Amino acid sequence: MSNESSNELVVNPAPHITSTMSKTRIMQYTFAALLVITIVTSILWISVSCPTDSQLDSYPTLSNVWQMPLGLILLFNALIAMGVAVGIDVLFNKVVSDSELNIWSSAVFGLIVALSYSLGVPAMAMGADPIPVANFTAPNAFLFVALIALIGQVVFKKVQGIGGRKLVNPAAAAKLLILLPMLGSMLLPSEHFASFEAGGLAMPRLAGPIAATEIIGSNGGGGFGDYLIGCFANPSSMEAGNLNSLMLFNKFHGWPGGASSLLVIIVGIALFALGYKYFKWKVTASYFVSIAIMSVLMSTIYADADLLTRLLFTLFIGSSIFLGFFMATDPATTPFSGTGQLIFGVGLGILTVLIQTYMNFFGGSILALIIMNLTVPFIDRIRIGKPFGRK
Amino acid sequence: MANLVVIKEQKDIARKTPIEDFPDPKIAVVLVNQQTGAANTPIVSVGDIVSIGQKIADSKQRVSAPVHSPISGKVLKIENVFNSCFGYETEAIFIENDGKKTKEKNLTPISESELAKTTNEVLLKRIHDAGIIGLGGAGFPTSVKLSLPADKKIATLIVNGAEGEPYDTADERLMIEKTKNLARGVRVVRQILGNPKVIIATKDSKVEAVPKLHEAFSQEPNTEVIAKHLTYQQGDASILQKAILDYETPPGKRSYEMGTIVQNVATINAIANAVFEGEPLISRVTTLNGDVPEPKNLLVKIGTPISDILKQNNVDLNDISSVVVGGVLMGQALQTINDPITKRTSSIIVFAKSKAKKGQPTTACIHCGRCITACPVRLHPIAIHNAVTKGDFEKAEKLWANDCIACGTCSYVCPSKITLAASVKMARK
Repeated sequence: MSNESSNELVVNPAPHITSTMSKTRIMQYTFAALLVITIVTSILWISVSCPTDSQLDSYPTLSNVWQMPLGLILLFNALIAMGVAVGIDVLFNKVVSDSELNIWSSAVFGLIVALSYSLGVPAMAMGADPIPVANFTAPNAFLFVALIALIGQVVFKKVQGIGGRKLVNPAAAAKLLILLPMLGSMLLPSEHFASFEAGGLAMPRLAGPIAATEIIGSNGGGGFGDYLIGCFANPSSMEAGNLNSLMLFNKFHGWPGGASSLLVIIVGIALFALGYKYFKWKVTASYFVSIAIMSVLMSTIYADADLLTRLLFTLFIGSSIFLGFFMATDPATTPFSGTGQLIFGVGLGILTVLIQTYMNFFGGSILALIIMNLTVPFIDRIRIGKPFGRK
Repeated sequence: MANLVVIKEQKDIARKTPIEDFPDPKIAVVLVNQQTGAANTPIVSVGDIVSIGQKIADSKQRVSAPVHSPISGKVLKIENVFNSCFGYETEAIFIENDGKKTKEKNLTPISESELAKTTNEVLLKRIHDAGIIGLGGAGFPTSVKLSLPADKKIATLIVNGAEGEPYDTADERLMIEKTKNLARGVRVVRQILGNPKVIIATKDSKVEAVPKLHEAFSQEPNTEVIAKHLTYQQGDASILQKAILDYETPPGKRSYEMGTIVQNVATINAIANAVFEGEPLISRVTTLNGDVPEPKNLLVKIGTPISDILKQNNVDLNDISSVVVGGVLMGQALQTINDPITKRTSSIIVFAKSKAKKGQPTTACIHCGRCITACPVRLHPIAIHNAVTKGDFEKAEKLWANDCIACGTCSYVCPSKITLAASVKMARK
C-alpha cells in the first residue's frame, strides 16, 4: 500500500515513548551535586593559607611550594581535572570514529578526580615527617591531579571501555596507579607504625583499643582523637578544635570531597532523591551500615574506651564519606541488581574497615573499592529470586 | 509489585470525549487474518456483492475466528498486503461501498430472558460465528478461550478494565457509555464459565467510569467492582491477576489452569452485541490520540483505512512523524497510514514532526540496572540484550527471555535509550 503522507514515517520498535531520564540528565545531576561540594568546600577553605607561614618556616620540604589559599587550590584542581578529562574526550571523539562524546560524564570524572585528591598540609605536620606533604599543595597537587585525570580518562575510561563494561572505577584506579611509587608508605603496615626516626609514619594503630587519653602511637602525643584533630584541624588556627565538629562539618586536610561530611550527606541524599531509581543508593546505605557495624565489632574486640572516635573516623573520614556517596555508586563498576548492590556495599564496608584496621591504610576505602569492583562480574551472576511465577 | 513503573497518562481529553460514529469507508480493506491461530481463507470472490455482517473469510480449524464484511458493496479485489501491525503479508479483501447498507441477519438475537435456557454450546458457537477475538490486543479467538476442559472449574472471572496504555481511552468510554451492555456480556460469560465470582477490575483514576460500574453491577450476583491504583503493567492479564488475586501464574500455564479467566471489557461488549443483538464483530471503538487536533474515541468499521480517519479528523498528513496503533508502549508503528483498522486496533496515536522533542540517541549502557528493577516479571533485560547482541540465543533463553510479557518498560526506563524490549522480543520463541 502506498503512503498518502508525503513523508516517510518513522518506524521504530515499541515502546514509542521513553522516560525523560537520560544518561545526560543523570550526569548533569551528578555534576551539579559535585559542583556544589566543590564550591562550598572552596569557600570553607578560602581563608586558610596552604601551607601556613609557620609550616613554611618549619618544614624544609615545603620551600618550593606555592603558598595559596586552600580553597583556590581546590578550584584550580577542579578546573585542571575537568579540562584534561573533557579535552581528552573531545580529542578521542575527533580521532576515534566510534568514540562517544561524553562531555558531562567527563566533567563528572574530572570533578571526582579533584575532590578525591588529598589537599591541605595537616596541622600536625612537623619538619621531620616523611610524609610527602608538598604533594598536598600547589604546584605538585596540580601536576598529580592532571596526571590522574589523564591516566584515568585514557586508560580507565576510554581503553577500559573498549571491552564493554569497565572493571574498575576510573578515578580510583588512576589515583592508585599514580600513587604506586608511594605504595611503601601507604600500604605496608610496617611503614605506618615505624617511628619517624626509622622512616615510618608513626601512625596510631586502629588494631588496638581507642581511648581518648591513651597514647597509642607516637605521633601527636595523645590518643587517637588527638591524632585526628592534628590531621584535620585548621592549621592556621591556634585552637585544636573539637573532634566531633571537625569530622562532621569541616576538615582541613584530606579529600576535599569529604571535607564537610554534613555537606556530602545533604548533597548526596538530594541527588539520590532526584533520581532514586537510577542512582545506586543501596550501595551507599549498605556501605555505611556495614562500616558502622564493623567499627562496633572492632571496638568490642579491642575493648575501646572511646567507640565514638572510632566511628567518627571510619564513617566521616573524607575518603569514606565522599567515596560512599560518589565513587562507590559509579553505575558502570557496580552490580546491576538491588541485591547485588547490597552485597557490594557490605563487602566494601567490611574491606574498608579491615584495610584501615590491619594495614593502617586510613584511606583504604579506595583500595577496597578497586577490589570490590573486580568482584562485580561475579556478583552480577548471582540471581536472587526467580522471574514472575517461577518457583 | 512495589517497583512497578508509573507512566504518565495522556488521557485527559480523550477520556472525556464520548464515542463518535465514524462514517463507513468508501473502500474497506478487510484483512483475512486478524486473529491469533489458524489462517482463514476468503469465501467470497472478486465481483461478489456482499452485505453488512456477511461472512467473507473463515477457517475450518478450531482455533480461528471468521471475518465479516463491515459494509455492503462489491468485492473489488483480493490481494496480499503488508500489514505493519502483524509484520507480514496477509490477504485482504477490498470492498467498494455501495451505500445501500444492506444487512445480513444470519445471527439471530437471543433475548435476555432466553439466556438462562441457552446452552453453552450455542453461546460459544455464537461467539465463534461472530468472529470475536481478544480485543485487548492478543487477538486469541474468544470462543476457544472460553471452551474449557470439562474438569476445569473457574473460580474467578476478571473483567479487565485497567486499560494501561497511557494514551488509550476506548475501554474507559465503553465502561462509561456501554455499562449496561457490559453487564449483559458478563452474564453470558459467567454462564459459560459456570457462575464464577466476577471481578470488574479498573483503575481508580477512571473517575467517570467507576461509579457507573458500581451502579450497573450492584445488582449482579457474586460480583465485585475493584477500582484501585493500577500501573500500566497491571493491564497485562497475569500482572493484573497478581494485583487482584495476589498469585503469580507460572509461565507456560494458562490462566484457566489457575482457575481464572481474564477478559477485556471491549471483548465483553462484543460478546453482548453478538449474543443479544446478533451483530458480528465488524466495528470496534478505537482511540485517536497524540498530536491530533481533537483526541477522541471512534466507533469505526473494521477495514477502514487509517488515512481516512486521519484526514477526516484534520490531521496534517505532511506533519506526521509516526503513527502507532495498539498503544504507544506495546503497539506497532505503521509503515503506511493506509493500513486498515483491524479487530485489534485499540488506538491510533499520531506523533507530529512539528511537536517532536529532540530525541535522545542510543548510547552505551551505563549499567544503572534500572531495567532490572523496573521489569514487572523480574527479568534481567540488559543481560538478555547482551546475549542477543552476541548472537547467543541459548543464553538468552536461559535468562528466561520467553517469560517476557513485552510490556516495553525496560526500554521506556533505559537512560541510554537502548532498545531492550526489541532485543528480548528477538530472543523469544
